[in-house]
Amino acid sequence: MSGVNVLNRERNLIVNPLKTCQPLGAMYAVIGVRHGIPLVHGSQGCSSFVRYHLARHFREPVEIAVSSLHEAAAVFGGRKNINSSIKNIAIRYHPDLIGAITTCSSEIIGDDVFGFVDTTNKELKEMSEENEKYKGIEDIKVIPIPTPSFVGTHYSGYGVAINSMIQTVTKANEDDNSKVNIIPGILNPGDVKELKHIMDTLSISYTMLTDISEAFDAPLRPSKQERPFYPKGGVTVDEIANVSASRGTISICKYAKLGAETLEKSHNVPAITDDLPPIGIKGTDQFLRNLQSLTDCEISESILDERGLLIDLMADVSARYLFGRKVAIFGDPTQVTGIARFVSELGMEPVMVCTGADEKSFPTDMEIVAKESNINIDVLVEQDLRAVENYVKENEIDVLMGNSDARFINYETKIPLIRFGYPVYDRVGYHSHPIVGYRGAKRIAEMITNEVLERYYDEKHWKLQQ
Amino acid sequence: MPFKLFDVNKEIPEREKHVYVKHCEDSEDSIACNTSTVPGCMGARGCVYAGSKGVITGAIKDVVHVVHSPVGCTTYGGGAKRYPSQPKLPNGEVFPVDNFNLKYICGTDLKESDVVFGGVKKLKQSVIDAIKEFPFATAIYCHATCTTGLIGDDMDAVCKELTEELGKDVIAFNTPGFAGPSQSKGHHITNDTIFSRMVGTKEPPKTTEYDICLIGEYNIDGDLWVIEKYLNEMGINILSRFSGDSSHEEICYMHRSKLNLVRCQRSATYIADLIEEKYGIPYVNVDFFSTEYCADNLRMLGRHFGLEEEAEKVIAKYHGEVKDELKYYKEKLTGKKIYIFSGGPKSWHLSIPLEKELGMNVTAVASEFEHEEGYEKMKARVKDGTTILDDPNSLEIEELIVTNKPDIILAGIKEKYLAYKYGVPSIMIHSYENGPYIGFEGFLNLAKDLYANIYNPVWDLVEFEEKLEEIQDEVISTPEEETTMEAGK
Repeated sequence: MSGVNVLNRERNLIVNPLKTCQPLGAMYAVIGVRHGIPLVHGSQGCSSFVRYHLARHFREPVEIAVSSLHEAAAVFGGRKNINSSIKNIAIRYHPDLIGAITTCSSEIIGDDVFGFVDTTNKELKEMSEENEKYKGIEDIKVIPIPTPSFVGTHYSGYGVAINSMIQTVTKANEDDNSKVNIIPGILNPGDVKELKHIMDTLSISYTMLTDISEAFDAPLRPSKQERPFYPKGGVTVDEIANVSASRGTISICKYAKLGAETLEKSHNVPAITDDLPPIGIKGTDQFLRNLQSLTDCEISESILDERGLLIDLMADVSARYLFGRKVAIFGDPTQVTGIARFVSELGMEPVMVCTGADEKSFPTDMEIVAKESNINIDVLVEQDLRAVENYVKENEIDVLMGNSDARFINYETKIPLIRFGYPVYDRVGYHSHPIVGYRGAKRIAEMITNEVLERYYDEKHWKLQQ
Repeated sequence: MPFKLFDVNKEIPEREKHVYVKHCEDSEDSIACNTSTVPGCMGARGCVYAGSKGVITGAIKDVVHVVHSPVGCTTYGGGAKRYPSQPKLPNGEVFPVDNFNLKYICGTDLKESDVVFGGVKKLKQSVIDAIKEFPFATAIYCHATCTTGLIGDDMDAVCKELTEELGKDVIAFNTPGFAGPSQSKGHHITNDTIFSRMVGTKEPPKTTEYDICLIGEYNIDGDLWVIEKYLNEMGINILSRFSGDSSHEEICYMHRSKLNLVRCQRSATYIADLIEEKYGIPYVNVDFFSTEYCADNLRMLGRHFGLEEEAEKVIAKYHGEVKDELKYYKEKLTGKKIYIFSGGPKSWHLSIPLEKELGMNVTAVASEFEHEEGYEKMKARVKDGTTILDDPNSLEIEELIVTNKPDIILAGIKEKYLAYKYGVPSIMIHSYENGPYIGFEGFLNLAKDLYANIYNPVWDLVEFEEKLEEIQDEVISTPEEETTMEAGK
């Protein structure tokens, strides 16, 4: 029998969550804009927790401004906080874009961030007209981004931020610039770089909405460091303004696709949003077909060779070491679906998958994987890391795949933990290497195989004689 | 003028009174502090909830934390601080999960409908779920956040009801994130809550004449265990820890101590005051950072308890073990410019030791959330010309780095990678690199980390040199030991 067995959380309590708040995703998205500054409208924790959380994963600076919302604002409203925050940033940083990101507190007190931003924009214009030294500040794009944490997740917050940018910045456009828009979602720099590599190789020009690939994986070169500090790279405001002239939009994360839908509705830019992600063979094949359908590009020999290298490795390792091994996978639904599909392509069995939020299409996608691989999959929906822990202790699992938070399950149970996704803070390099594309899949297959060899073969080392 | 307006602050002149340059004739005016951060700045401060769960209660080894919040605050409350615990409980039993406090965080996962209709029902059900999931937990601590503070859930009432129903302490910490300018307010509320709800509610299994409470020591990277070892060897018994490697029970009988020692005087003097007032137990401020302060304070405790000889033995033994190595590091670190940006009081704990015992040159000190008395101490413990900053923001840190480049910065993870980008090494002083940093061996660890970071070969390699001769010239003109790390030191 192949199919899925959906298991929802039975307790109300959440223990070691597998998701976090919308504002984090919004800040992530804004950091991917060239000279973009995230301004979070909330209390100190709303910036400092996120700065800490992202910094430990990327080992990079994470610069986030906060509107310093305290008791007075809670009583009288946060208009002044937003207003003076935007001016402070505008004057001291001269950014191209400011994301005004709301939080639980600012939403509950009923702050009209859209109205506040309008007023502030007018004031910036006046300041610019009245004083030579403020010239240019009226050109800063201020984006209101409504992202309370009691709605959605970090990746939906990312989606809301992208959508807000499109609604505020993107202009009506009759041109065709023959580009493709990509909404990566909460992916690592290594993944975004891999997507770029694929498109560069196919000579497709593109706009990343947004592009954190250099911001969160930046060279240390003090002589080139600009002041004030801005993260390297990023999509420009001008590029965001012109995404309406693209041939189409591919949202890698189907749960952050709002922006792609807006572009389709308002600017007639076709949206491809519902495929499984480009992880593994079938997922990456589909991504290439999607690019082809939008641009009529030819799939180059060098990309097909990359595919061939992956196939070559799979032929080497899957039957010999991996076949039939049971895998438990947890994390964000996009990556989990893709990884589950790929391990089944490797001949392994993704017997359990788990995500933190209640996403309707997640079980449906897992059904596709179950059918393709002809196995039964336990699909844990809106569950948490405690559920994963209990599951792997009660069932036979050979390999566990997910983030660093599972490290204590790994050393308690001795089940190998293959790290992917976010956050990975107890190992280095995971943010700068891909899991997407053929090359990313090759890396996953190598990691899994090496962990399996270490855990299940090293003791009987003669089994490893070739 | 001793107050200083940074170039980057020209447009926010209200920052001027937060930045002070030490002058031989100090101004009477105190440094502005403990006020809300200027909106729009990039600061390091945490929220009130962070000060409660992240700093104080999160270190306790045998309680379940239920964060009453939408998912974000729960996620960020997990495993954030490096305070290990061992599973031994004061009654001799062993808690079934080691480092339980670092492994689990629970929450109520509030949604939009809860914001509209209230979250009390979910809180109640979640606490019951928590006890089912972790039946061995001694108590349940519930934490308010911005959301639950604003929707007005009466957590005290729920927790009181559940305490009776479950037969275990269920305690509400009313710490919505916005309720103060920084995490400092969270420390205060938590001190008050622990005092009123816990202290005096239980009796210790046994007491001695040498019982103390170690207050305001959170066992960062094992700091508490270092102090505990010294005190035990002297014959002094730690009856209760507040709150590093502590159990719920031992906090409940803090009122049976003979003397209270206050280590972090920013986050925990409140409870020492309350205990003194109600139970008449005196407290002393202690400082175990550096060999000199550590020896002074062990001697002071020796005099108090009539254990002078024992104190001398401990000092001789542990100071003796690190003396020679520290001498080596002093030689290497002498004259190196250092900027200390601590969360609370470490700036004034460390300024004199780093100069006196390691020969370093402290050029700036700062704190995220110190209050007036802390800044007075900073003023008293730095030399003329040192910059003192309250709640510095990223642009100020950049300006400090660029205008007077330090050899190293002691700060947190939020500043560390920014400093790197400008070519300056940085050590995490909140959670440490390779701690513990307290006591004699801890100070040696700090010296080693300072050395390893300043002399890290990478800092000599950061830029590509076009011509090989230039590099060779440089190597020849620099004494060899300056450019290479000596293995094993």
